[in-house]
Amino acid sequence: MDTITKMVVINSAKVLPSDVVIKLYESNADVMIKETCFGVMVSGERAIVDALLGSIRKMDPYGIFIKERGFSPGEPYRCRATRRGGARPGFHALETENKILPHIASALRALDKGEIPVQKPHKRKLDVEKLKEIIKESEVTQ
Amino acid sequence: MKVFIYPTNSLILSDLVERFGHEPLAVMQEVGKKVRTQSLDSPPMNITPEDPKLGLKYAAVEVPSGVRGRMSLFDPLISNAEAAIIVRDPVVSFGCMGCARTNELVNFLIRAKKIPLLELDYPATEDEAKEFVYKISQFLKNLTAEGKK
Amino acid sequence: MSTENPVRIAELSCGVEYSGIQKEIESAVKQVNAVMVYPEVDIADIEAIEEEFGLKVASPDLKLMMARAKSIVTGRVHVDAVFVATCFRCAEAAIVRSEIRRYIHEKAGIPVISYSFTERTTAGTLLTRMEALTTTARRKSLLAREKQSGLTAGIDSGSTTTKAVVMKDNKIIGKGWVPTIKVIESAEEAYTNALKEAGVARSEIQALGTTGYGRFLIGEHFKADLVQEEITVNSKGAVYLADKQKGTATVLDIGGMDNKAISVIDGIPGMFTMGGICAGASGRFLEMTAKRLGVSITELGALAVKGKASNVKMNSYCIVFGIQSLVNSLAAGSAPEDVAAAACHSVAEQLFEQQLQEIDVKEPVIMCGGTALIEGLPKAMEELLKVKVIVPENAQYIGAVGAALLVSGFISK
Repeated sequence: MDTITKMVVINSAKVLPSDVVIKLYESNADVMIKETCFGVMVSGERAIVDALLGSIRKMDPYGIFIKERGFSPGEPYRCRATRRGGARPGFHALETENKILPHIASALRALDKGEIPVQKPHKRKLDVEKLKEIIKESEVTQ
Repeated sequence: MKVFIYPTNSLILSDLVERFGHEPLAVMQEVGKKVRTQSLDSPPMNITPEDPKLGLKYAAVEVPSGVRGRMSLFDPLISNAEAAIIVRDPVVSFGCMGCARTNELVNFLIRAKKIPLLELDYPATEDEAKEFVYKISQFLKNLTAEGKK
Repeated sequence: MSTENPVRIAELSCGVEYSGIQKEIESAVKQVNAVMVYPEVDIADIEAIEEEFGLKVASPDLKLMMARAKSIVTGRVHVDAVFVATCFRCAEAAIVRSEIRRYIHEKAGIPVISYSFTERTTAGTLLTRMEALTTTARRKSLLAREKQSGLTAGIDSGSTTTKAVVMKDNKIIGKGWVPTIKVIESAEEAYTNALKEAGVARSEIQALGTTGYGRFLIGEHFKADLVQEEITVNSKGAVYLADKQKGTATVLDIGGMDNKAISVIDGIPGMFTMGGICAGASGRFLEMTAKRLGVSITELGALAVKGKASNVKMNSYCIVFGIQSLVNSLAAGSAPEDVAAAACHSVAEQLFEQQLQEIDVKEPVIMCGGTALIEGLPKAMEELLKVKVIVPENAQYIGAVGAALLVSGFISK
């Protein structure tokens, strides 16, 4: 049996972590549920967790993001409560990604509407001749 | 298809790959396998001094043990990758992704595999995010089409 | 010991978990009644740290280390000591490690040790360092002791030789120095010799301290009042013997099996390094050189002082290849005194390159241990450091004297 843990990160205006928890409990599925500051962690057999989270995602496809987690919820070597001090390294990684989730949500919405974004050309370093010209010009104006 | 993602612990990449119908190859799966093995004898991750030795497959003994230990963790991901998405300048990412030398080596090995590969920049604005998500969705759709062929 | 609060050591590290040695660190820490803590930081601290610290690095975990160091310095987290560790052979991490150590030591004034590890690092290797770190943090009042009082003894069970002293009212009254063959028997012999010279009976000794490799074994055998690692003991012994108890000092001890370089403030170790991987930087190298030259180890130093190291070409620090270079030079007609000088230079240079770069060398530089008596060695060190190196009288008894001095704080009142 392949027991896994998945993190459900909620960055939504209409769904709260507690809503997800209620829905998970209602499912009566054989999983372990833990509410966290980012959302919810769900542990159980892979097939069960995946099926369950498929329905959870539908609660707000633009506000719910899911990834697997190596450690089980509350793992004493990782949990802030038992490891004396700061968060585990992965927490900071999640914090940084969490900041950009609203943009990702809006991009997913645009995609579903069939919008094709304008592709920006890759930035290149300024040609040295051009830079020389600018320097000369600035000397003249001084 | 099994899609390698970089950063390999990314929530966004892992979510998008799964959302668009593929299997993300993320390091969390490998960490999970390690920590779930019976009798945790080398906490926290059950990486033992044997792992840096397994990492010799990728890097010589003069390469730091932390790089080789991480390489042994990444080994199944690199071996199983059928396609890959690499974000060129990801924001700070720690733990499994905390070592720049390992990250460079992992990226190189993925590029050297000559599998379908999408490389793109980390988005900073909403417009860039739209381009980011669009490119990823197109890449993954094409993979599905190729898979069917 | 068990009634004391555990010492809080902050762990600032990169690569430890992936080298499989976190368990070893935790085990060493547990043995000295300490706990590892991980200073709290938030993402804004990490994002700003490169600008603030002024050091840009590619590896995120090194940024995390710098941010955690700042968290200690600004007092956001309370810790008693800091352990900074990164992978051996990582250049980027070596730069960060060294700067963090300096930063914390200067701004927070708490003891810091820095260590570069491989997957072969074990709890045993870390134990002496952790013991020194926690002693410095925990026993400030004991380490503040500057004078020996009453009738005490100290035994230093080293890897090569065992030393014992008996002290009375701040004076050495008896000494014993024997090669280490069997740890307990050699300690018995050295101690008996010291007692004999002092003219006192074992039962009269009010307190006994042990140090060195065999400290635990002989500590138990003699029912010692103090069993202490050699970093703190030697720091104390060195400043006592050299009469430099106040202010800064640097203590160098080239041992039979490992070397210590300790940066001391008011007799208390601040930063220190312990080398122990290469035999080429040890007293053993000089012993082998003496043997090849057909002189006794006590004559090697005087011979070296007469010679010039630059007259002999040495391509390796290695105890095997280095000695071979010396043999080749002799065959090619080099003078024995030049070869002796080259051997001393080689050992000094390796200490200089591999350990002294890790600590702040501040005068006076005090050289101790039996190897300090090989005159060519302090001379070679002086040439490299370009400062005067002090070799106090009784330099070989540094550990035994430090132990006898510290343990006098244990005499029941």
